[in-house]
Amino acid sequence: MKQQANGVLESYRLGNSHFDEVFKDTKEPKEHYQSIVERFNQLSLSDFERINNEVKTAFFNQGITFAVYSDDKKPDERIFPFDLFPRIIPNEEWINLENGVIQRNKAINLFLEDIYHRKLILKDQVVPADLVFSSKNYLKEMVDFTPEGKIYTHISGTDLIKHTDGQYYILEDNLRCPSGVSYVLSNRLALKKSLFDLFDKLKTKTIYQYPEQLLEILKTVKPKNIDIPTVVVVTPGMYNSAYFEHSFLAQKMGVPLVEGRDLFVEKNIVYMKTIHGPIRVDVIYRRVDDEFIDPLVFRKDSMLGVPGLMNAYRAGNVTLANAPGTGVADDKAVYHYVPDIIKYYLNEEPILNNVQTYRCEKESDMKYVLENIDKLVVKPVDESGGYGITIGTTLTKEQIEEVKVRIKSNPRKYIAQPIMSLSVHATFIEETKEFEPRHIDLRTFCLMGKDTEYILKGGLTRVALRRGNLIVNSSQGGGSKDTWVLD
Amino acid sequence: MLSRVANNLYWMGRYIERAEHFARYSKQIYFSSLDAPILKTYDRNFVLESMLYMAGIFDMEGMPERDVLFKIGMDTSNTNSIISNITFARENARGARNDISTELWEAINKYYHLATSYPQEIYLTTGLYDFNQIILDQTSIVSSKIYGTLLHDEEWAIILLGMHIERALQIIRIINSKLHDIYKIEQVGHPVNEMSFEWTTLLRCVEAFDMNRKFYRTIPDREQVLEFLMLNPHCPRSIAYSLNGIRKYEAKISRNENQESNTISFKIGKLYEQYRYLSFDEYKDDIYGLLNYTQSRITEIGAELEKKYLSF
Repeated sequence: MKQQANGVLESYRLGNSHFDEVFKDTKEPKEHYQSIVERFNQLSLSDFERINNEVKTAFFNQGITFAVYSDDKKPDERIFPFDLFPRIIPNEEWINLENGVIQRNKAINLFLEDIYHRKLILKDQVVPADLVFSSKNYLKEMVDFTPEGKIYTHISGTDLIKHTDGQYYILEDNLRCPSGVSYVLSNRLALKKSLFDLFDKLKTKTIYQYPEQLLEILKTVKPKNIDIPTVVVVTPGMYNSAYFEHSFLAQKMGVPLVEGRDLFVEKNIVYMKTIHGPIRVDVIYRRVDDEFIDPLVFRKDSMLGVPGLMNAYRAGNVTLANAPGTGVADDKAVYHYVPDIIKYYLNEEPILNNVQTYRCEKESDMKYVLENIDKLVVKPVDESGGYGITIGTTLTKEQIEEVKVRIKSNPRKYIAQPIMSLSVHATFIEETKEFEPRHIDLRTFCLMGKDTEYILKGGLTRVALRRGNLIVNSSQGGGSKDTWVLD
Repeated sequence: MLSRVANNLYWMGRYIERAEHFARYSKQIYFSSLDAPILKTYDRNFVLESMLYMAGIFDMEGMPERDVLFKIGMDTSNTNSIISNITFARENARGARNDISTELWEAINKYYHLATSYPQEIYLTTGLYDFNQIILDQTSIVSSKIYGTLLHDEEWAIILLGMHIERALQIIRIINSKLHDIYKIEQVGHPVNEMSFEWTTLLRCVEAFDMNRKFYRTIPDREQVLEFLMLNPHCPRSIAYSLNGIRKYEAKISRNENQESNTISFKIGKLYEQYRYLSFDEYKDDIYGLLNYTQSRITEIGAELEKKYLSF
């Protein structure tokens, strides 16, 4: 008996007015989704739920979890929701994305080198000098210092969305410690184990090389006069929400995962404390924020850092990835200028679109924002994780007034953008036991080393699980999908 | 290997081993008592006291059975409960997660989730056997992952060093507990020749009953059991065997450095050799003395290991 009538995607209803990644307006699947939709429709709800539960158990046992603390009870461990229906990107579409992301990150890296050295772009008034110098992430400790290979952003995560017009737009740059790549790799593995025949239907590009590539990139920026570098990953510790990722990457690269307390600096050389004494460390992939890396230079109360690390770094005896002070470039007010930054350094037209951005600091922009706040997304310029964002259409009158007060009290801290309509993707919703359209975005991962770069083919598709919600961050209840770039 | 990681792995090994001994002891003592031949042993309070003695809890005598079972097995506020030991083992593994194999990590993580999600009410009513058996089975899985999925290098050796130190200490503890039980039985006037049941139980408490049978082929008695569990170099649940393990794995970590008289290697070697050339007759009148001596030597060695390797 054919089960088609009960197929899990049969009951799917198109979302109105959003760009649907999977289905056409006629509810026919788009070309590149056809065979996958067929496969899912061969599954009954109970088949699908069984597979879904198996995957959840596997994630749980693998410890791909985060802890939710409540009262004095033992922390509740939860998995990051993973949706079995993969997001598919046709190859032509991907090539454009890839070129655009590499172009953008190259330009940003040149921008960082410039603003910490000659400051030509500021002198030429392409980017306002005030904007750069007023950023709390502009570090004076980095001025006139050149990191190995002139690389600042070894690892960057560029967030993209697809708007109603079917075009990709850059939502933001993440140039400090972008996370999520471990989920990309874990999601792929989970899908391979649970729905392996999907991989016979379409040929997707592989992603498993990411940790190898990361290690290679880190080795290209080893300090001079070091032959075979010792690379480590630095984590704030196992209570950090991204600890799984830190240990995952260290394990896959085969390098030690260390905490600040495992390291010390003597005569500007960094060592790790091993059972047989100190061993020199040459390259540090640090997953600790700038302000915590060295209590002698930055936050005095930091227990996560290594006293003397910045001096060792400035002496050229150790490489930090990413370089300190990159946060100035992923400031959401600087974001507005990235297209100009690309033109300035590369003399090229930007391949990927920016979202129209209003800087509240600018008087005319501020006026527009205050008058149209109900139609805009307002974001603090220097926060990450989706914190502090307000979406105009969801606000009450009182809340709008509150936001206005907040903006007026610190215009430099806020930008506003039109509410972009993120594309939607069929996603299984456990409460209704149906596939429903949910908003998604895409975080790409780009690696840059001395004379080399690598981009992960695909990335992390994040999905906002609550109906109508536009914020996809995992800290705000988002889930994720495996992302396929077709071969 | 980072000292912090070594510390995690060492304690992971110790907690895994400790949880297993607690679970095994609880299970054996409780269930063997149900049809015990000696009235005293049959008494439930006597059994609970023995379990508490082994678990090092001295303020719960006469408390209701539920409370005692909860305290020993599932009480997270008791840092020495079975659940706490498993939690600590897992936290230590998590802190060294990238240094152990994925297979080992998943085995420990699964073990932790199985144990901590075990329904309390079932454990306290019908699940005592089942819960403790899960602990034993999961420990076997974890052990096989330690042997089978780790490179046999220093990291592996430090886990096994922790396990063997803990095993030696727990065997001493179990022997002490059971000797204490037997002493109490003798106090109420039972003839010693009716004691084979107690000696059998002691063997079962360390899973050495079948091995003992095979080795002596007679009904277990005091001399035979105490000789076997303390001196037999081939019984993996004897003190002598554990000492050999400590010696072997410590050598891997110290890289066989010079064995001068003040080194840890020397101290371990000395204790190991003492056991190798000991006969039961030499210590039969002072079992407690030898057990206490051994316990303090091992504790001392453990402290020195921690100082030298685990706390840079």
